[in-house]
Amino acid sequence: MNMANATTAPNTNEYAGDEVSAIVLDPGYSTTRAGFAGEDVPKSVCPSFYGQSDSDAGPQYSFGENAIHDPRANLEIRNPWGSDGIVEDWETATKIWEYSITSRLTGARPGNPAKNGLNDAHGDAMDVDMEALESLEKPLEESPLLMTEPGWNPQKAREKYIEIAMEEWGTPAFYLQKTGVLAAFASGKASGIVIDVGAAMTSVTPVLDGMVLKKGVQKSPLAGNFVSNQIRMIFKQAQPEIPLTPHFKVASKTQVDAGAPAQATYKKFDYSPTDSFGRHEEERVLTEFKESVVEVWPGPGRFSNGTNEEIAKSQPGRPFEMPDGWNQVFGVERFRAAEALFDASGALTDPENPRPKDEHTIPRLVQAAIQQVDTDQRPLLLQNIVVTGGSTLLYKFNDRLAYEINAIYPSTRNKLIAPGSAVERKYASWIGGSILASLGTFHQLWISKKEYEEHGVNIVEKRCK
Amino acid sequence: MASGRDVRDMLGLPADADIPKTAIQKRPKPAAPGKKIQGVAREVAALYGERPPPVAVYEEKKTYRAKRQSTGPAKKWIQQPFLNPARNDGLVLKHWKRKPTAAQPALTNGEDAAMEDVENAPPAIETNYDFAKFNIPIDGPIFTDEEYDAHLRTNDWSREETDYLLDMVKEYYYRWAVIWDRYEYTPSTKQEPPSQENFHGDPNHALASLPFAPPKSRSVEDLKARFYEISAKLMKLRIPEVQMDAEQYARYEILTKFDPHLERNRKNLAAALMNRSMDEVKEEEFLLTELQRINMAATRLDAEREELRSRLEAPIPNQQIAAGLASFQSSQALASLFQQLFQQDRSKKRASGSASGPGRLSLSGADIIGTPTSAAAHQHSGGQMSSHANASRRQSMATNAQPPTPIRQLSPQTEHRFNVSTHDRLTSGVSFGADKLLKMRQAKSNVQTQKIATALAELGVPEVIPIPTSKVGEVFESLISKVGKLLDVRKVREKEEGECRILEAMKERRASENQGGEGEAGHSREGHGERGGDGDVNMGDGGSTTPATTAQREVQDSEERDGDDDDDDDDADMDADADGDEDDVDADGEADDNGDVDAEGEEDDDEDAEGEEFDSRAPSQSQSARHTSEAVSARAVSQGHKRSASVFSQTSNKSTKRARK
Repeated sequence: MNMANATTAPNTNEYAGDEVSAIVLDPGYSTTRAGFAGEDVPKSVCPSFYGQSDSDAGPQYSFGENAIHDPRANLEIRNPWGSDGIVEDWETATKIWEYSITSRLTGARPGNPAKNGLNDAHGDAMDVDMEALESLEKPLEESPLLMTEPGWNPQKAREKYIEIAMEEWGTPAFYLQKTGVLAAFASGKASGIVIDVGAAMTSVTPVLDGMVLKKGVQKSPLAGNFVSNQIRMIFKQAQPEIPLTPHFKVASKTQVDAGAPAQATYKKFDYSPTDSFGRHEEERVLTEFKESVVEVWPGPGRFSNGTNEEIAKSQPGRPFEMPDGWNQVFGVERFRAAEALFDASGALTDPENPRPKDEHTIPRLVQAAIQQVDTDQRPLLLQNIVVTGGSTLLYKFNDRLAYEINAIYPSTRNKLIAPGSAVERKYASWIGGSILASLGTFHQLWISKKEYEEHGVNIVEKRCK
Repeated sequence: MASGRDVRDMLGLPADADIPKTAIQKRPKPAAPGKKIQGVAREVAALYGERPPPVAVYEEKKTYRAKRQSTGPAKKWIQQPFLNPARNDGLVLKHWKRKPTAAQPALTNGEDAAMEDVENAPPAIETNYDFAKFNIPIDGPIFTDEEYDAHLRTNDWSREETDYLLDMVKEYYYRWAVIWDRYEYTPSTKQEPPSQENFHGDPNHALASLPFAPPKSRSVEDLKARFYEISAKLMKLRIPEVQMDAEQYARYEILTKFDPHLERNRKNLAAALMNRSMDEVKEEEFLLTELQRINMAATRLDAEREELRSRLEAPIPNQQIAAGLASFQSSQALASLFQQLFQQDRSKKRASGSASGPGRLSLSGADIIGTPTSAAAHQHSGGQMSSHANASRRQSMATNAQPPTPIRQLSPQTEHRFNVSTHDRLTSGVSFGADKLLKMRQAKSNVQTQKIATALAELGVPEVIPIPTSKVGEVFESLISKVGKLLDVRKVREKEEGECRILEAMKERRASENQGGEGEAGHSREGHGERGGDGDVNMGDGGSTTPATTAQREVQDSEERDGDDDDDDDDADMDADADGDEDDVDADGEADDNGDVDAEGEEDDDEDAEGEEFDSRAPSQSQSARHTSEAVSARAVSQGHKRSASVFSQTSNKSTKRARK
């Protein structure tokens, strides 16, 4: 009778959960994830890119997947995040995050039906309750908020987080946790070393008993966007140059032979879509290319090691068709795009994209992170290498990573923990946050509004360690 | 049925109810044996016949999930606000809880409006939160300022930093790796006046006191050392060492014995272990696998040996003895054991005149235990026995005393292996094997004894044989007997050789005398060889020299002839013997002394050959010789002598023969 299913409540003692309808917000460079704590996937996943169209009446912002892919005049696509994984544009970031919460989770608040004016027969009563209405407009009045931050977030950014949450959203309680810890929690580990390869940044975070070892946190810009740039270079350096046409430009296409020029009819625009829009749309194609073609050389050895390229050449290629119908089978090139994540000398370079630094490659990051950890804890961490982030979904990424780490640490038992499903890999830190915020024991850690008012923004530094 | 009635009786049920039931129950009984096999088609089941199927057939019964029981209207859940006692800021959060139903029935009687009010009213705040119990604060060392000044002050650590450290330890629950990671102590800007006084214008110290001075980097070991030091000192202050209980003292020991240098070295080693190169790791792996392989081979070999041993029919150790062996350590126990065995032996002897071998075995088993103490016990018990003999015998007769010790029939191999021997009769008392051996060395005469000793010395047999076991004794005995025979043979040989030498000398003398007179006769037959020549010469003597030169010479001649005759006799014996002996020698193929005997035998054979030659010529010669009266008379005279000689030679031959064997 007491089978666990959707209709029966789980045994409290079993999972130690106690849900207080907290909201977990996990902002990232590529997407912003939000959802209720206790759920297994974020309900709301919004792109962190936003559209801004300047007009005489001031800038118009458009958020959400649908809005930013619509080719409109003057639509600039921007991102509030800096390239170092720290928010730069706080104003729009706040808007994006608020959008991600309100669009799917809390919705437009109805307010008290007795007082919100909808039930009033006479219009004159409206003015009376405006103030009350305004106070109710704050989106998170009822939900505690757990936010995630990168491990290297500076104190100012953290203080800004709590300020936004408390002042603008009016959340009753707030907590800030690092993505590394949460990703480890999502894999059921309290200790481990978290390798997070996201869009803008790759980070390696040692976590011990649910706490980040700050000295060991490593980051590098060799991540998803870097791989996209590498692909662009592959296209540019190919003979003949491979055309990169985004979807929005193509009206219809016809089938052509491999390598033959595309025969497509293109859309005509009265205005020219902005460069940033075009580039953002190109990124979508590149993402598709990364998902379907790019492969990481799985080892042994580096890709550039003599015979490995020959071996790679003998492997069957992978076909890819551009939105305009141009298609080709990609052979050995597909290994080059992501090689620089592990071997800086394998990167394609041009004047705009200099050779990446050796210490930014993932194996070196791991090595540097481990070096900063107490000797006794190193084997423990290496037993729990949590792999997370959308870019780790590259084909054979884990094979190569395992090879590289075993090459550095041959005498320890190194174990990669990489969830199989793409959702868990992409949203690991959100899922970890969902677990954490739904724990009964966690509720004593919240920074309450009262505490915030007493101590000010400093409290985040004291409480969220 | 009777049992059923009893049960019913016990349960107090009416006995009558039992009657109709039996009538009903009787009907299904005949059907019971033909129990239907489930899960099998009827046709297949029919094939089984009366017997049950060879394998148990279980039909998997279809199971449906139990129907959801509707337990009334849907239960209501409310967002129950709660206060977490683990917090001190009074934050009220809401969690979903079942609406308490206890209050509801009382309210159902009221008006609808009132009920709505109740529902709309905010639920009472829950104050005892389930998870608050997990909020466990830790306790660290606490000290007063006086205590700090008196005991804990060091130059390396300021009071502020010490406090900071203790706070960190509390904050991170003794997780030293995290504490070290987060340890960022920056000295406060306001300096304590006393510390400044100590500087005396030292630029380094002055720099260190400045607010922008870089914080001292401290290793985990430094932090631990400081913390443990404080803890240990405070612990000692609170509880003097003598009053600590075991657990407290153990903790105190750990705290005081922390050595940061040792710890640092250990960590360096651990790091070095971790940073080994691939080759080193592979080498280690290889060695480990090799070790494992060797271990496996060793265990397998052991197992095989064990199996082999068990197959070799090793006697299962008598458990009674094995268990009891420990109890036979004391002399008293040994005495009683001996007595018991003795009794058994006695009773057996009396019961059946011929006590079988195994029966004796038990006694010899007691011999096996023969350690000096047991020997003493043996003697002791021997004394005791005389006094107790009657009583114990009576006892054994009356009670049929102890059960006979189990006797195992042993195979010859095992008997040999465990040195079990059987004796027809045992001499009473204890004797040493060495004594026995010594006795064997001694002959009747001193000369003989010496000879035996020299012979043994030649053979390399030591005077004292280290372990004079019974078997060694046997071998030694046979050796001694052989040596004795050899010595006999040697004696005879020497005697004969002596005679030969004398005769030779005589012959030479005579030859030199005869050379002038009857040279031709002697010379014509000289070529036959020495001894043959002897005979010829003698014959020549008998035939040609009519007047006897001297009586003495006659006698000597006859003697000589006798000797020859003796030889003949001997040879006749020897012929038969030698053949057999040769065979024997070949078959035996024994040690050195026997080889010597062989050589002698061969000499004898040579003699045989010569003797035969002599025989073939003998008739004519003897005929020619017969008419010489002296010779005949001489022969008659020498009869007795000859007899004795032949007898002796026969015996000696026999002795050599025996010796060969």
